[in-house]
Amino acid sequence: MERGFGSDVLISISRVLGAFAMACAVAVPLGVMMGAFPSVEAIFAPFVSAWRYLPAPSFIPILLMWFGTGEAPKLALLFIGVIFFLITLIMDHTKNVRQELVETALTLGASRATVVMKVVFPAVLPDIVVAMRQMLAMAWTYLVIAEIVASTTGIGAMMMRARRFLKTDEILSGIIVIGVLGLLFDLLFAMLHRWAFPYLRKN
Amino acid sequence: MSEQSALQIRNVSKVFELGGGKSVQAVQDISFEVEQNSICVLLGPSGCGKSTVLRMMAGLETPSDGDIVIGGRTVDGPGQDRGMVFQAYTSFDWMSVRKNVEFGMKINGVPAAARAERAERFINLVGLGKFADVYPSQLSGGMRQRVAIARTLANDPEVLLMDEPFGALDAETRWLMQELMVNVAEQTNTTMVIVTHDLEEAIFLADKIVFLSSHPGRLKEEIKPAFKKGERIADKEKVVKLDGYGDLEAHLMRLMREEGRGTS
Ligand SMILES: Nc1ncnc2c1ncn2[C@@H]1O[C@H](COP(=O)(O)OP(=O)(O)OP(=O)(O)O)[C@@H](O)[C@H]1O
Ligand SMILES: [Mg+2]
Repeated sequence: MERGFGSDVLISISRVLGAFAMACAVAVPLGVMMGAFPSVEAIFAPFVSAWRYLPAPSFIPILLMWFGTGEAPKLALLFIGVIFFLITLIMDHTKNVRQELVETALTLGASRATVVMKVVFPAVLPDIVVAMRQMLAMAWTYLVIAEIVASTTGIGAMMMRARRFLKTDEILSGIIVIGVLGLLFDLLFAMLHRWAFPYLRKN
Repeated sequence: MSEQSALQIRNVSKVFELGGGKSVQAVQDISFEVEQNSICVLLGPSGCGKSTVLRMMAGLETPSDGDIVIGGRTVDGPGQDRGMVFQAYTSFDWMSVRKNVEFGMKINGVPAAARAERAERFINLVGLGKFADVYPSQLSGGMRQRVAIARTLANDPEVLLMDEPFGALDAETRWLMQELMVNVAEQTNTTMVIVTHDLEEAIFLADKIVFLSSHPGRLKEEIKPAFKKGERIADKEKVVKLDGYGDLEAHLMRLMREEGRGTS
């Protein structure tokens, strides 16, 4: 109980970023490959689609059973809560890369692999960053669920502790902090987008 | 015939399978040759298979029957030897004009110094010297199309294939681009195949017009604009005033009208 509010916030942030980074590390290459190659899509699509319809929180009991009470179940919940949507979004954006761009590269002598790396990927990258921005908001939702249900640390857990002592002010400040953090990360993503894709700026 | 042919189209047919047992015959038994260093224009009413023929030359579609031969080799998929310029906007938005023009050379392993030099040359050739370091999104439609042309030419293809490259441009830009292409053909000795349904454009650009009839696309007539006396004239006004221009235009109009009938 002595631990400060600050350390709960830091723990929450590191959980969101850690799990989100892992989800992106898998979803970006897989989503792009699925969007670029129908054969890859055929292999993974049924699995990915099925998972999207399973509410991630329904896995909390089994995650707790498998991973115990450490960081793993929380990270896993965030991971599965986000990754399947992220894959689907990235795959759809990749499919929307204009065929003329691909064909232009092919007629310039590019191999299939070069086309994906040098044309398809850079062409979808801005959309990938937008998809990440959207899914990061969702990651915060799952974080709070995980911390309320199965954690003694983090903002969610702090709010549950406060509830026991009827400290409404702490609960409210928890909510506000989550809101502010969400906004902050959204802003960071918007800035990243502006900075990384100067060619999209309308002047 | 002393001219060597760069490209041979031999008894080419194309049937598209539409699924559900249905199919469309887009092109039927077409044969013609494109001479080295010449400009060949594919002309015909909408839907007659011009794009399909061009895409087969590029290796983006496979003929259902017959074959296409370039420099003695049968076309089997796309390659650096056949550059293509599309009607739609194809600039790589995330690269500057210069990087766009260097792209083909880069993936084909041309060393950086040679690449830069060649890019410079072709950017200047299409009149974009001042815009080499801007992004394509800052350019007008006509300028972007010039980027696409420079990018394709800088990659040193044996044949330049263009599918209605100026279709989306306004009239003035359009004829400036047509004049540019005649100049480019003179300066680079590139063989060109250009698809259009604009009669004026066809007459102005062509050393030879290949007219396709519709549904299915068949070879209707091969026409060499004799009134140009084998010369290339990069000035549209002059060409229009030449004796014989009007006759050829009238002839093509008649062909168009015959073929366009019933296809709306
Ligand atoms: N990928 C495809 N799948 C099915 N049918 C196709 C395909 N591409 C072309 N076709 C059909 O082949 C025929 C010829 O089409 P094509 O695009 O080559 O004509 P075109 O002469 O270029 O017409 P336009 O002047 O309108 O561009 C049309 O009937 C078209 O519907
Ligand atoms: Mg066409």
